[in-house]
Amino acid sequence: MVGKNCFAIASDRRLGVQLQTIATDFQRVFKIHDKLYIGLSGLATDAQTLYQRLVFRHKLYQLREERDMKPETFASLVSAILYERRFGPYFCQPVIAGLGENDEPFICTMDCIGAKELAKDFVVSGTSSESLYGACESMYKPNMEPEELFETVSQALMASVDRDCLAGWGGHVFIVTPTEVQERVVKGRMD
Amino acid sequence: MAMKVDMSALETNFSIPCLDDGDGMHFSADSPDVPSMVLPTCADFDGFQAATKDMVKNKRGTTTLAFIFDKGVIVAADSRASMGGYISSQTVRKIIEINPYMLGTMAGGAADCQFWHRNLGNKCRLHELSNKRRISIAGASKLLANILYSYRGMGLSIGTMIAGFDEKGPGLYYVDSEGARLVGNRFSVGSGSLYAYGILDEGYRFNMSVEEAAELARRAIYGATFRDAASGGCVSVYHVGPDGWKKLSGDDVGELHYHYYPVQKTSVEQEMTDAPSTSA
Repeated sequence: MVGKNCFAIASDRRLGVQLQTIATDFQRVFKIHDKLYIGLSGLATDAQTLYQRLVFRHKLYQLREERDMKPETFASLVSAILYERRFGPYFCQPVIAGLGENDEPFICTMDCIGAKELAKDFVVSGTSSESLYGACESMYKPNMEPEELFETVSQALMASVDRDCLAGWGGHVFIVTPTEVQERVVKGRMD
Repeated sequence: MAMKVDMSALETNFSIPCLDDGDGMHFSADSPDVPSMVLPTCADFDGFQAATKDMVKNKRGTTTLAFIFDKGVIVAADSRASMGGYISSQTVRKIIEINPYMLGTMAGGAADCQFWHRNLGNKCRLHELSNKRRISIAGASKLLANILYSYRGMGLSIGTMIAGFDEKGPGLYYVDSEGARLVGNRFSVGSGSLYAYGILDEGYRFNMSVEEAAELARRAIYGATFRDAASGGCVSVYHVGPDGWKKLSGDDVGELHYHYYPVQKTSVEQEMTDAPSTSA
C-alpha cells in the first residue's frame, strides 16, 4: 500500500499443507535492496526458489551497473522470469513495492505467468485476496504518514485473514521510507 | 414362560394427521417412526445425490470432543463454520442441548445436525411422556443411529456424539451418518480431531476434578484450532453431571493463545543503519 513518500508491504505468517498448519513464522516478504521489497504468495517452495533467482539476478545487475535496480525495471525482470515458465509456471503471485526515482513509491502485482498490474493505491495477492481488496478499498486514504499507514495496513490484513481459513496466524509488516525501514510483527488470532 | 420382547419404544402411540401442504413432510402412524421426506424425481437419482453432496460442500471442518471421567462427561467444541476456504462464521453453537441432561455435538453439515438433533429431542420427550421415565443415552443414540442408517447414502453428513447422564451413570456414544454407533470413553470428531486426540490422550485420567477436566478439554480444542485451519473461533466447554448439563466456559481462541503463551518482551538492541542519502 502506498503512503506519503513511503510504502508498506505486509504478509501473514502461516505455512500450511491444505488444512494442516506447519509453521507460524514463515517469511514471505523479502528484501531485494534497501528500497525494494517483494512479497510472494502461493506455493512456498516456488516462493523461495523465485526469491533466490531474483536476488541472483539483482546481484549480477549491481556488479555490472554499479547501482541498485529501479523498481520498474525489477518488475519487468520478474515478469520476464515468470513468463519464461509459461507452460510450467511458478505457482506464485508476487507483490512488488519500492521507492523509485525521487523516492516516488511504486507498487505492482502480477499473476503467476507475469501479467503486470500497476496501481497507485494498493495491491494484494493470496488466498484472502478478495477480502483484502474489500478491506483495503474501504480503509485506504491517499498520502498517509508512515504511522497511520502501518495502522491501516495491519487492520486491513488482520480483518481479511480472519475471514480466511488458510491465512493468518500473525502478520509481518514492513514500512519503508527514504531514511528507514520499520519491520513489525503483528499479533493476530492464532486459529 | 417366554417373555415377549417389548417393542413399545418403536411404536408411535399417536396418530398425527397426514398434512401434505406442499413441503412434503408428513408423519404417518403406520410406518416406523422415521419421517418420510419427499425424494426428488429424476432419472439418475444417485448422480443427483452425488452432485448435491458436492454442491453443499460438507467438509466436517470442525473439532469436537467428549470424554467420560469419574464426575460425569465433559463435552467441548470450537465454533467455526467454513465453506471451502471462506470462514462463514466464528460463532456457531456446535453443542446442541437436546434436553436438560443430554447434549449432542455438531460436526459435518450444520443443517443436518441441527434438524436431526431437534428431531431426536422430540422423540426423547415423547418417550418420556409415554413411558413415564427418561430415555437412556443408549436408547436415544440408538434412535438417532437407526434414523441415520435409513438415510445412508443420501448425502447426509453428520458426525455427532450423544453425551448425557442417565440411571446407569454417564453415557457417551458416537453416531454418524454412515450408520455407525460406537460406545466409548473418549471421542473426538472433525478435521481437527487428530490434533485434539494428541493432547486429550496424553492428559486424560479417569480421576480428575471438574476444573482439571475442563482445562484438558479446553487445551485440546485450542491445540486443534491452532493446527487445523478449519477450526477456530471460541471453545465452549460443557459438563454433564447427575443433575444435568452446565456450560462451564466459552473462551475466544485468539485470547486463549496469548493466555497460554504470553508475548515475551525482548530487549533487542537494534542497529539502526542510516539508509544512503537520496541523491545516489
